[in-house]
Amino acid sequence: MLDRTRDDISRLVEPGRVHRRVYTDPELFELEMERIFGRAWLFVGHASQVRKPGDYITVDLGRQPVIMTRHHDGSVHVLLNRCTHRGPKVVNERCGHGNRLVCCYHGWTYDMDGTLVGVPVPEGCADGFRKEEFGLARAPRVGEYRGFVFASLAASGPSFEDHIGPMKRNIDDLVDRAPEGELAFDAGMHRYAFDGNWKLQIENVLDSYHVPFGHASTVNKDGVQFARREGDQAGAKVVEAKKESTAASWKERKSYTVGNGHGWTSNTSLDEGKRSSPTFDAYKCALADKVGAARADEILTPRLHNSLIYPNMSIMGLNIHVRVIRPIAVDRTEVNIFPVRLVGAPTAMNSANIRLLNVTHAAASFVQTDDLEAFARTQKGLRSTATDWVDISRGLGAEEPDRELNATRELATHEMVVRAQYKAWATYMRGAV
Amino acid sequence: MAGDAREAPAPVGDIGGIGGVGGIDRKPFDDFIVHEARLLDARRFRDWMALFADDGTYWVPAVPDQASPFDQASLFYDDRDLMKTRIDRLEHPRIHVQTPPSRTAHLVGNVVVEETDEAKGEYVVGSTVIMVESREDKQRLFAGRQRHRLRREGKSFRIVQKRVDLINCDSAFDAMAVPI
Repeated sequence: MLDRTRDDISRLVEPGRVHRRVYTDPELFELEMERIFGRAWLFVGHASQVRKPGDYITVDLGRQPVIMTRHHDGSVHVLLNRCTHRGPKVVNERCGHGNRLVCCYHGWTYDMDGTLVGVPVPEGCADGFRKEEFGLARAPRVGEYRGFVFASLAASGPSFEDHIGPMKRNIDDLVDRAPEGELAFDAGMHRYAFDGNWKLQIENVLDSYHVPFGHASTVNKDGVQFARREGDQAGAKVVEAKKESTAASWKERKSYTVGNGHGWTSNTSLDEGKRSSPTFDAYKCALADKVGAARADEILTPRLHNSLIYPNMSIMGLNIHVRVIRPIAVDRTEVNIFPVRLVGAPTAMNSANIRLLNVTHAAASFVQTDDLEAFARTQKGLRSTATDWVDISRGLGAEEPDRELNATRELATHEMVVRAQYKAWATYMRGAV
Repeated sequence: MAGDAREAPAPVGDIGGIGGVGGIDRKPFDDFIVHEARLLDARRFRDWMALFADDGTYWVPAVPDQASPFDQASLFYDDRDLMKTRIDRLEHPRIHVQTPPSRTAHLVGNVVVEETDEAKGEYVVGSTVIMVESREDKQRLFAGRQRHRLRREGKSFRIVQKRVDLINCDSAFDAMAVPI
């Protein structure tokens, strides 16, 4: 049994290893829902999903159902999706548009900012009943940066700026690619799930070590992956074909952390000079028209592969998308992947991005499916009590400061970024946030 | 991916009609669609791909009544190039998600010829598909309506587009590796 003390949590995370219980113990999962998903800044959605007043979407933060709305005055609200009367989810649709939110059970009616505006048969209300006290609960804290809406279900804790601030440039890296400097989440979503713990997914997005072996089925006989971007003639070289070992260029990739559990990996430089197609060239012109040719070149030079904004969201710079991780149970996780439309880019460019994302990250994709298999096998393997420890020690002690980026740097085939996640994990789980 | 996505053939429209075209022998269409399903169950993916026209596409939308594969995410939207990459991978010895491989059993029925264009030699054939997939002690069920746009070629057809509208297309799926 888990003793929920500071010492007990500390015993689960050591400098180069974590206890297998962090993936398998249902009680720890319950504590994560309380101390991480109940407190941390979580990505909720993108403002473009509720573009017009009256628009709403529903999502889960951890396991708590919430509604993100655009109120009549244009403001965005994050409301708990639970009728304040007897408890039903008020909004059942994944997205929609309306003037009011009406509970299906007794008809309690809320305005788009959660204010209770209607109670049928009001003469039955108890003496002293005050409608003002029965609005939908709001996420205590909400923050937005360039359309990315985050919320914390705790009234206190590190500020939005403290938590998200160091990762703003990673959001900028994606948003700046849109000629209008704006993204739209209006191209649907991919939904996949797996029988494994949620942390397997957030560790994986920053894991460059697994690619040559885990994704062996995606490379050709020369060790080169299929082209994943519009205008590329080929993908990255990940395997030295002769020796069947990790390609030298791949080993040069770097990973970075800025604390708070966040991290990112740098991109393999593909052959930028040769990246060209009518669609890509038209897009590049559209971007250059807005920001100038030099800046367009800078924006389109890959720097970031995956960026993790701890604990529940990542941004991908290669097959551009935003990924949201939703824990369901200690051994079950759902992931939602949003293609992003670059506002101002030619339609054909956005189409190409959408089509290539189908191939890399759909539930039926070429890339993600092998990761899902690895996650499920990990969850099964960790049933073993042969050893209690999961090794995350690659590169331990080799971390170095990157003063230019104000970050800590290491090779991406090492595991510094996973250790950084567990440092944040232990801080939350001890109740220190 | 070949060139501009907009040059791909027009998608088969949303799944709507109930009735079929009268006075047409359904058997050749029925035979073709059963043959296609049997190739998938036999994991003869290259022979399956050969049924597609050079401009053929395989589409599994991610939302009901999806109007286009060009502005919305899809579970599958493969042209011949992507189909080839997919099949190269299915035959790769280290495709972890197919180790062991899936076994599937397709059942197709309710075949209706919905549209004919004798001048172009093109036909739209609607049917219902059920695929049971078994892998590693887990069995799951896929079901939906499918539409084949077929182009007559000699005594048989080639597929201009196969569209499968799963009834649960907007659900979260565990990894899917084989076409439906």
